[in-house]
Amino acid sequence: MGFLPFRSRSVKGGAAGIPPQGFRPRLRRRPSLALLAAMAVLALLVACSPQSHMSTWEVFGPVARDQLQLFNVLLWVMVVVFVLVEGILLYAIIRFRRRPGQALPHQTHGNTPLEITWTIIPTILILGVGGWSVATLFRLDKPPASAGTPLEVTVTGHQWWWEFEYPNADGAGKVITTANELRVPVARPINITLHSDDVIHSFWVPKLAGKMDVIPTRTNHMWFQADATGTYYGQCAELCGVIHALMKFRVQALSQADYDAWVAGYGQPPQLSAQANQGRAVFQGAGTCTVCHTATGPDNPAVVAGRVAGFNSGGAIAPGPNLTDLATRSSFAAGTVDPLNRDNLAKWLHNPNDLKPGNHMAARAKALYQDRGSVKLSDAQVSDLIEYLLSLK
Amino acid sequence: MATITGVLARPTAYSGVWSWLTTVDHKRIGVLYGSTALLFLLVAGLEAGVLRAQLARPDNTMVDGKTFNAMFTMHATTMIFMAIMPMSVAFFNFVVPLAIGARDVAFPRLNAFSYWVFLFGALLMHASFVVGQVPDAGWFSYANLTSRAFSPNSGLDFWSVGLLVMGSSSVAGALNFVVTIVNMRAPGMSLWRMPVFVWMTLLTSILLVLAFPVITVGLIELTMDRNFGTNFFNTTAGGDPVLWQHLFWVFGHPEVYILILPAMGIVSEVLPTFSKKPLFGYPVVIFSGIVIAIMGWAVWSHHMFTVGLGPVANSVFTITTMLIAVPTGVKIFNWIGTMWGGSLEFKTPMLFAVGFIALFIIGGLSGVSHAVSPSDFQQQDTYYIVAHIHYVLFGGSIFGVFAGIYYWFPKLTNRLLGEGLGKLHFWLMFIGMNITFFPMHFAGLDGMPRRIYTYPAGYGWEIYNMISSFGYLLLFIGFLVFAHNIFRSLKKGQEAGHDPWDAPTLEWSIASPPPAYNFAEIPHVRGRDHYWIVKREAQAAGQPAPGPEPLAAPGSVHMPSPSYWPLVTAVGVAWIGGGLMIHFDLPYIKFPISFLGGLIAFIGVVGWSNEPTSAPDAHHGGHGAAQGAQH
Repeated sequence: MGFLPFRSRSVKGGAAGIPPQGFRPRLRRRPSLALLAAMAVLALLVACSPQSHMSTWEVFGPVARDQLQLFNVLLWVMVVVFVLVEGILLYAIIRFRRRPGQALPHQTHGNTPLEITWTIIPTILILGVGGWSVATLFRLDKPPASAGTPLEVTVTGHQWWWEFEYPNADGAGKVITTANELRVPVARPINITLHSDDVIHSFWVPKLAGKMDVIPTRTNHMWFQADATGTYYGQCAELCGVIHALMKFRVQALSQADYDAWVAGYGQPPQLSAQANQGRAVFQGAGTCTVCHTATGPDNPAVVAGRVAGFNSGGAIAPGPNLTDLATRSSFAAGTVDPLNRDNLAKWLHNPNDLKPGNHMAARAKALYQDRGSVKLSDAQVSDLIEYLLSLK
Repeated sequence: MATITGVLARPTAYSGVWSWLTTVDHKRIGVLYGSTALLFLLVAGLEAGVLRAQLARPDNTMVDGKTFNAMFTMHATTMIFMAIMPMSVAFFNFVVPLAIGARDVAFPRLNAFSYWVFLFGALLMHASFVVGQVPDAGWFSYANLTSRAFSPNSGLDFWSVGLLVMGSSSVAGALNFVVTIVNMRAPGMSLWRMPVFVWMTLLTSILLVLAFPVITVGLIELTMDRNFGTNFFNTTAGGDPVLWQHLFWVFGHPEVYILILPAMGIVSEVLPTFSKKPLFGYPVVIFSGIVIAIMGWAVWSHHMFTVGLGPVANSVFTITTMLIAVPTGVKIFNWIGTMWGGSLEFKTPMLFAVGFIALFIIGGLSGVSHAVSPSDFQQQDTYYIVAHIHYVLFGGSIFGVFAGIYYWFPKLTNRLLGEGLGKLHFWLMFIGMNITFFPMHFAGLDGMPRRIYTYPAGYGWEIYNMISSFGYLLLFIGFLVFAHNIFRSLKKGQEAGHDPWDAPTLEWSIASPPPAYNFAEIPHVRGRDHYWIVKREAQAAGQPAPGPEPLAAPGSVHMPSPSYWPLVTAVGVAWIGGGLMIHFDLPYIKFPISFLGGLIAFIGVVGWSNEPTSAPDAHHGGHGAAQGAQH
């Protein structure tokens, strides 16, 4: 057995003079350096990462800011602990590697004061951060009273799009239903009430606030506030079926004046050209669009309940996005088709599955401009329909 | 009843296929578990390959949403239930009886039954691929997406029934190890002298016994909802989807420790051996394991911070989750303490053990950042979490498993795994792992949600995904190197001898491979590192280290005989599940077939309970040592 170096060492109790077979210390350190370099490159990439619509690093509201602040502190704690512990580990790896002729090392079994120390220090550290976390948790639970009266919005999650209802959009009781683009006034807290009609979703606009799940049978609450006007991207964050990836939305933070104008204009009968008028007839008639969609103001709860019940019992009907202000939106199909324009609408109506494969409209709408289904719209009818849809503002 | 027993003659084969089908030898069952687990590790790895290929580029259309969802569901389910857990059980089987000085586990036939039920359950779940109805609601399968309204095909039935079948295997196996460890230790091996790996096996087994009933309740409710019209989770009839989440995570979080504690045990064996120093602070390592196993029950809702449980519940689970970092951190400090002042020899098992520590630190730290619930509101369900779980389960559990394979392979085969290939394997895995999973932290913090099958360009996620997918290639090559090393070393590996690493524990004091009876004479354990004590005394006295005990004469050691009944019973149990898989619309076929399975299982149990443990005329002790029985 002499050809086995470890065997002979075991005989001599670790005092063998044979170097560990096949082990070259340099081999160990070089890839570690390469790894460190790779991580440094990655860190640089983060620092100058391209504009990221969903970044949690760029925050534009008090909720996201407080959450990021907590994470930033944790990040520094993590970096310090990481460097310290991995550093000690690396030092031990280099310093205590076996050298030729080394005797059996001192057989320590432990060191009670040391072990107590490295139990107590992390405990104190953790309870400190934990206390701060709990304080943040309670502080962010509701908007501060000083921030003014919040705007109430009810969000309903559907497979795979978002419905937004304003029970009192203008302070005078005006009800608005819209979809996939949530318009809010800047610098005002928005109270969000969350429902689902089908499965669990999660409502998330990273630059404004962390997520909250949208659960059937439950009513959840959260709030956010946008400090600057602009478009903020959101996306469903809980697996909700086949095209969970395509369930997006946007939050448009508008100046108070722009918001007021949108609210005032919502539901006013649109200016329709002659062609758009014909399109409206298609929308309400041959297209059978009104089975699932409303385009004339807020949804009637009884009609919506009928659509939901039909969908849940497997019928050829489903709750569809409210289209009253469709033409004011920048995108459609739950934020996946951008921009909203004539060409994209034509593609959508030809076959929604081309743009958003697996959506419920493709399977249910029998009147699409496509070669299957019981009714096929003519080219002229589709043009009229698009004209009508583009007039909805 | 003897007539039933008499139907099947006692198996007598000690080689060939039948010997494996009827074996009750813990070492052979360990080999069966281990090789099955490695096969499923490959399957789950290939599924991950589909995910990484699809996400390598934005707007990729290689697979659709349905396929992608099926792939990540089966990747996680397979990795957790069919790769890491059975791999740990393989080590329990092979190592624990040897390390406590026992001749087998307490219930050898129950042990065989556990393996066969596990195998059939795994095959049952994978039969979903054959019929093209693969589970696709995630490994957590949140209700009510799992209701028949939203998941109309049979995929989730394969998932729930497959897990129920495998769960019965886990509970039976775990009970077996609790009884074995409590009752069958060699004289002198008090609890405080038990190797850490045995301790971690005991804790893991206790967790399994307690955790699996919880998921079983959930799975039975889900199966009832889908097949018999109950409404536990059916929201349109007032069912509660959040109930599933509580049931799932009350099981699911202890499950995380079920996956990591065995790896921690392995690392705690490997580090002292290759540092030539006893484990630093043995009692503290054990106590922190116990604390983790207890606190693991008090943290489940950290998976549910965004469910809307309110700030009070979130505060409680924030604090408990952060506190569980303390015993985990203590273990890391004690492992480094073990290396400190030692004489470190970087053989492949040691590389994987040290790699485990280095990577687990990263996973542990990112874990603290989403234990803090306000911070988690941004991280929940993003790639940041994907990065975290892969640092603890890949960098942790899988690295621990590889450390264990390189460490105990010589005991199993009397051959060393190739060191050069082993080091190549390690570096490919270590570098590949970091390239694959480190960028996911950034993708997640840049808002990339988990479980999306596609993403558009322009969100800043492209570069991270491209790097991750490249890293996957390194991991895959690493796995091929490992597989090659196994097959090559089985044939041409260097002969190991009984104690290639100068290890401290009992299993190294007997021959490699161990004879069927393990110990002809049950050792009297003299201390925590028994074999070191014995060897160093001999050295101090100027004598050669004591070698393995001579092999016993065949027939002189009375061992349990092989049996058909565990296999028959397992076939029956799996048959019950298989019958339930027949289409909803054929109740007149599915239930009778299922019932037939119950009948087979019943006959199996009756035959089993009427069969003596050892055939009256058989003394099989020496059969496994046929190659060297002439001492």
